[in-house]
Amino acid sequence: MTDFEAIDALLARAKQEVAALPPVDERRALREQLNLSRTQVAKALNVSPSTVGGWESGRDPSGDLREKYAYFLQGAQAKLAAAAEDAPAGELADDGTPDAGQKNPVQDVEQDDVDALAAPESCVLCGQPAQFALAGLPQHLDAAECTAASSTAQPPAAPPQPEAAKPQPPAARRTADRTGDVPIVPKGRRAQAASDTPDLIGQAVTAALAQHSGDVEAATAALVKRAIPDAMALLDATRKGGRYDVVAHPWVPDILRKQTAHGADQIWEARPKWTRPHLPAGRHEVTALDINGAYLSALKTHLPIGQLEHSTGNHHDRRRAGVHLITPPVWEHDAVLPNPLGSRDEPGPLWVTEPTLRLLLRLSGPKYGLCDPPEIHESFTSGATENLLEKFRIALKDARDTAIAADDEVTLEYVKAMYSKFVSTMGESNYNRELYRPDWMHIIRSQAFANLWWKAHRAFDEGLLVVRAMGTDELHVIGDWRAVFPEGRGVTEVKIKDVYSIGTDPDHTNNP
Amino acid sequence: MPERNIEFGKYGARGIKGHEAVARQLDALAGYIATPITARRGLIARLHYLTRTDHARQAAREAGLTVTDRTLKAWLDGKRSPSKANLERIEQAYRTVRRENVARYLLARLNREGRGTRVEIHPLNQSQVDRPRQRVVEFRTLNVRCWDRIVQAWVAGDDQELDDAWVDQIVDLGSQWGQYEYVTNVGFAA
Repeated sequence: MTDFEAIDALLARAKQEVAALPPVDERRALREQLNLSRTQVAKALNVSPSTVGGWESGRDPSGDLREKYAYFLQGAQAKLAAAAEDAPAGELADDGTPDAGQKNPVQDVEQDDVDALAAPESCVLCGQPAQFALAGLPQHLDAAECTAASSTAQPPAAPPQPEAAKPQPPAARRTADRTGDVPIVPKGRRAQAASDTPDLIGQAVTAALAQHSGDVEAATAALVKRAIPDAMALLDATRKGGRYDVVAHPWVPDILRKQTAHGADQIWEARPKWTRPHLPAGRHEVTALDINGAYLSALKTHLPIGQLEHSTGNHHDRRRAGVHLITPPVWEHDAVLPNPLGSRDEPGPLWVTEPTLRLLLRLSGPKYGLCDPPEIHESFTSGATENLLEKFRIALKDARDTAIAADDEVTLEYVKAMYSKFVSTMGESNYNRELYRPDWMHIIRSQAFANLWWKAHRAFDEGLLVVRAMGTDELHVIGDWRAVFPEGRGVTEVKIKDVYSIGTDPDHTNNP
Repeated sequence: MPERNIEFGKYGARGIKGHEAVARQLDALAGYIATPITARRGLIARLHYLTRTDHARQAAREAGLTVTDRTLKAWLDGKRSPSKANLERIEQAYRTVRRENVARYLLARLNREGRGTRVEIHPLNQSQVDRPRQRVVEFRTLNVRCWDRIVQAWVAGDDQELDDAWVDQIVDLGSQWGQYEYVTNVGFAA
């Protein structure tokens, strides 16, 4: 009987117009007055939206579906009738008690379809005797009557429990009432409350937990397994109404193609793997810091929108992004700061991505002056924007923050799997065939590495000793790092991975 | 048809026929053996594919590999190596058989029970065209629901039929579909 519960939940969720209602004589009008979409109804009835459309324009369902649809319509009528009753009189109608069923509904509910029956016939919903017929079907006009009737007589298989879902007002409404202001967003040709937009992540987590009956580990495993398609669905949802389409299958230059099935392409992502060569004498306590959600933050980067176009010459257009063949400048600060190009041994020109090039250009500028400008030989670029994945990133970040605040490990793991797998499979991976953007993959990774480089630079700037910078998110420093980086689990904060000491204490060696 | 280009590339536009791009993408999705047939490893892999079962042998024979079993065995054992003409025949037979084998599953994934697959059409390259003659040709997407004819033509290696089948689909782009007869790339997933 989950279907009936679903319908009840649906009815409970539906918002009522408090204003006086016009007479309901149509299925469609009923549904629309409850602000329910065809899709919502169809989902609750487990049919397609076009089927519901068919029912509203003349066709009739039969059998089991007919019962369900009749139940829905009846519930809708009862709900609207209750609202109509409440609005002018201001009285509290107690729907939950059997007394409400004693009133003559025909007087309250002025409906064309409702007929009083001479002799009670069995209700199509609960099988108990009913005194009214709706659109020719004998039934109780209120779900409460069904329950009341069935609780007195032993119920057959059909009785639903509407009360379970009814008394709880939807959470979205409660928050909206409390704050007073309702944020709204465009939806198609209408507008809707921002809280009514489906929370894909929350829904998926709830569904998975329900499916595995609260088993956290099983639910997490199931969610992680479907993280890639879910991330793509979330991306689609966040790009609705966006200025740019996500171009998923552009022509890709050969430098971005893998040479062999398991080989690499020619792009250098500038992954840092740096250890400081010398430390001042004495004993030092090193803290290994972990940057939270490095790839999540790196989703904000200049991404080429369309197909990459070739150009030559030592010129960088700030409005475009892509990959560039450069001769990197000499790096002379290896003793204190990692090379922004990562640990590259091979000399000569190399293909780098936009974040690396921007990092080098910035460092060669008058403000920092840490190196010479790189020489660009050729580029594959396209018009760029930083906002392509911005809503996607914000949605994931919000979910992550909420999950951390609520100590919700399932959502946390799910979100983590979503963004990390999204980044790692957006290239030529067979696990995600919806998106073939190896350029984006490289650019996002490089952005994470560039972000780490800036963290290292900040630590250096604030007087800490940077010992190691490695991988995507690991930074080893000596000194009072808490004055520089806030500690925590948010994406702007860092967390401690490890604390260890290097070197020998000079006092110990000098004073035996 | 009036929408077809008569002298494509006269003013420097570059691109390939839409159906060629589709065949290319279908080939990429079919996933052939990556090692070239000129390498021993690639040759053996193709021969194994073509001789694994009697059914495969029969399919290979129908696809034009009309050598005796004795020859095949000698090739597989490395006692003899195929001539250049035979290498080409093996490659051709391999591609044909592979396409035939893959087609069923590819078709199901592309049709997705009638929901179809979103296809991106990347317009032709006008960078070499004089500025006054350049036209605004946009990136377009299209949901292709019925892939049967396209995949069939691709399996048969029938270019004319594939062209017709593809044009049949892209007329849905509207009156400017002729601008998309030549493209730089057609992208879709399966």
